[in-house]
Amino acid sequence: MNTLKETLKAQIIEALSLEEMAPADIDNSAPLFGEGLGLDSIDALELIVLMEKEYGIRLNNPTEGKAIFASIDSMADYIEKNRKK
Amino acid sequence: MIVITGIGIVSSIGTGCHEVRQALLEEREGIAPVRHLRTIHKDYPAGEVDMSNEQMKAMLGIENKETSRTVLLGILALGEAINHAGLTKHDIQTAALISGTTVADMDIVELQHKVGDTETGDCGETTQRMADYFGSWGATTTCSTACSSAANSILVGANLISSGRFERVVAGGSECLSRFHFNGFRTLMILDKEPCRPFDASRAGLNLGEGAAFLVMETLESARQRGVKPLAVLSGWGNACDAFHQTASSANGDGACLSMTKALSVAGLKPDAIDYVNAHGTGTPNNDASESEALRRVFGKCMPPVSSTKAMTGHTTSASGSIEAVICLLAIEGRFIPPTLHWSVPMEDGLEPVSKLQTNRRLKHVLCNSFGFGGNDTSLVFSEFDNSGRQGEPSAARQVYLKTAVRYADIQADEMPKIPPMIARRLSAILKRALLTSLVLLQRTGVSSPDAIITATAKGCVADTLSFLDDISLNGEQLLKPTHFMQSTHNTIGSLIAIHTHSHGYNNTFSHGAESLASALVDARMQIEIGHAKNALVGLHDEQNEICTVMFLSDEGTVSELLNDKKIKTLCGDYCH
Repeated sequence: MNTLKETLKAQIIEALSLEEMAPADIDNSAPLFGEGLGLDSIDALELIVLMEKEYGIRLNNPTEGKAIFASIDSMADYIEKNRKK
Repeated sequence: MIVITGIGIVSSIGTGCHEVRQALLEEREGIAPVRHLRTIHKDYPAGEVDMSNEQMKAMLGIENKETSRTVLLGILALGEAINHAGLTKHDIQTAALISGTTVADMDIVELQHKVGDTETGDCGETTQRMADYFGSWGATTTCSTACSSAANSILVGANLISSGRFERVVAGGSECLSRFHFNGFRTLMILDKEPCRPFDASRAGLNLGEGAAFLVMETLESARQRGVKPLAVLSGWGNACDAFHQTASSANGDGACLSMTKALSVAGLKPDAIDYVNAHGTGTPNNDASESEALRRVFGKCMPPVSSTKAMTGHTTSASGSIEAVICLLAIEGRFIPPTLHWSVPMEDGLEPVSKLQTNRRLKHVLCNSFGFGGNDTSLVFSEFDNSGRQGEPSAARQVYLKTAVRYADIQADEMPKIPPMIARRLSAILKRALLTSLVLLQRTGVSSPDAIITATAKGCVADTLSFLDDISLNGEQLLKPTHFMQSTHNTIGSLIAIHTHSHGYNNTFSHGAESLASALVDARMQIEIGHAKNALVGLHDEQNEICTVMFLSDEGTVSELLNDKKIKTLCGDYCH
C-alpha cells in the first residue's frame, strides 16, 4: 500500500505538471482539493484519466471522483480495491 | 436603429428558415446517432446537419476536395441570408462580413494529422473562403471566443454600424463537428449519452451539434434606401467576462448577469419588458445552475418565459449565438415560444423552462444568451420592428489614446512578475508570455483591472492544440488530456488575463490571419468611443516568432497619443508583412 501511494504521488505530479513538487511534499491524508493542494475541476478530470490509464479503472460520472480524490489515502484505497491492472 | 433584413440558417433541425421554423413548430429534434463524423464514440448522439460534404459541394458547385464542412455550412447559411435581404454583389462590396468559429477547418486538418505535424487550422481563412464565394467585401474578420463566437460577431457588427463605420454588416458563425472537439468535450465529461435535458434535475451534459447562421444587419436608412422591409431590430448587446475558470461558470453567474444587464441597458429596456429568453441552456449541471442564478439576479420576480433550443439543435458551439438568434427572430415573426424538449423535473433552485410549444405569443423583446469557455458571455436583445422609425442618437464619440505598448522580448528580468506555480504549471509558452506581458503593462499603467481585454491571434494556442491532436493520433480517441483541450481555444489567452486581473468587462478575441490586430484595435477603439470602456488592453499573441505585444488604450491622453487609422496601420505593419 505504501509503495502504491508513493507511485501514485509520482504519477499525480507528472499528470498534473506539479513540476515544483516532490512526492514527499504531498501529505497522504491532506485534502488534494480546496484548501489542501489546491487542485481544481480540470485536475479532477486529469485524475480520472490517470486512474483509467494506469489502473484500468473507469469512472463514468465526474461527481464519483469527489470522495475518491479526497486525499492520497482515499485514492490509494479505492485503487487497491478496484484496480484492473 | 439597427434592423435585421435577412437571415439564413443550417442546422440539424433543418436547412433554411422554412425547414427550421417547421421543426420548431413541430417540436422536432435533430439529435441522433452520429452518421457523418468519423469517431469511435458512436454512443454519444449529436445534432448533425443531415447532408454529407459531397452533397453540399454538389449544391454549391464546389469541387475542392479539402473544403472544410465549416465553410460549406457557412456558405449555405450566408447565401440564404444574402438572398433573403436582397443584397447585391455591389451591396456586399461595402458591407462587412464577421463570422465566428473556433473549430474552423479542423475537420480537414485532423484527418491528415500525424504526430509531429504543425498544422492546426485557421479561423480567418475559413471565414475568407466563405466570403470569397460571394465576391469581394468591404471588410472581413473572425471572432473566436468558443461558444459565444457568433454572438460576439453580431455584437461587433452592431458596434460597427452604430459607430457609423459600416451601413451594412453580415454577421454570424459557422461550426462543423470535428473529432477534435467531440473528443475534447468528452474528456471534459460534459457529453450526455442520452438526448440532453436542459434545466432538468436529471440533466447530465450536452449533445454537440453543428451548423451555421447569419444575419444581415443594417441601418434603418440603408434598409429604406434599398426598399426592404425590416424583420426585426437588434436593440441591445452586451459582452462581459465571468473571469472565474476556463471551463466552468461561477456559481452566482457573475459574467452572465453582467452581459444580460449590459444588453438590457443598451436596449434601454427594464427586465420586465423581455417577453422571452432563449437561454444558453446547454444541459450541463454547471451551466444550467449558474445561468438560472444569473437569470434570477437579472429578472427577480418578473422572470419571463425561458427555454433552451439546444435540446433540438444540439450545442452548435461557435455557431450557437447566431443559430439561436435566428430562432429568436423566427419566434418573433411567428409569434411562438419554442420549447425545451425533454424537460420534466425541476432542478434544485433552478428555473422552470417552457417545455411545450406556446403559440399566439406576441414577443416584443427577446433576449438571447451565449456563453463561451473562459466565461466569455454575450447577450443580445432582438425587438419587434415597430415602424416608428425612431433613431437612437449616436452620442459624440470619445477620443481614444494609445498610452503604452510592451513587447515581451523587451521586458527586463527584474520587472518580470511571478506567476504562482499552481497556475504556471499548465501554461504553454504563448499563455505565459501573454499573461506576463499583460501584467507588466498593467503595472506600468497603474491599472489593476482593465475595462476591456481584446486579443488578436492568427493561430491561437497551437501547442495545446497540437498536443491534443497528437494524443488522438497516438491513443486513438482514448485517454486524452482535458487540460490540452481546455487550453486549445483561441480565447484561452484573453480569459486567462481576465481571470488573473479579475476583469469582468468586455472580452473578445479576433483570429483573422495578419488582420487580427487591426480588427482588435478597431474593436477596442469602438469600446472606448461609445463609452462602454474607459480603457482597453489589446494583445497580439502568436507562437510564430514568439510574437507578443500588449497595448493600453485609454480615453485620456495627449494629442500625440491619439490613436488614428494611420497609427493603427503603423502598429500593424510589422505584423502584416
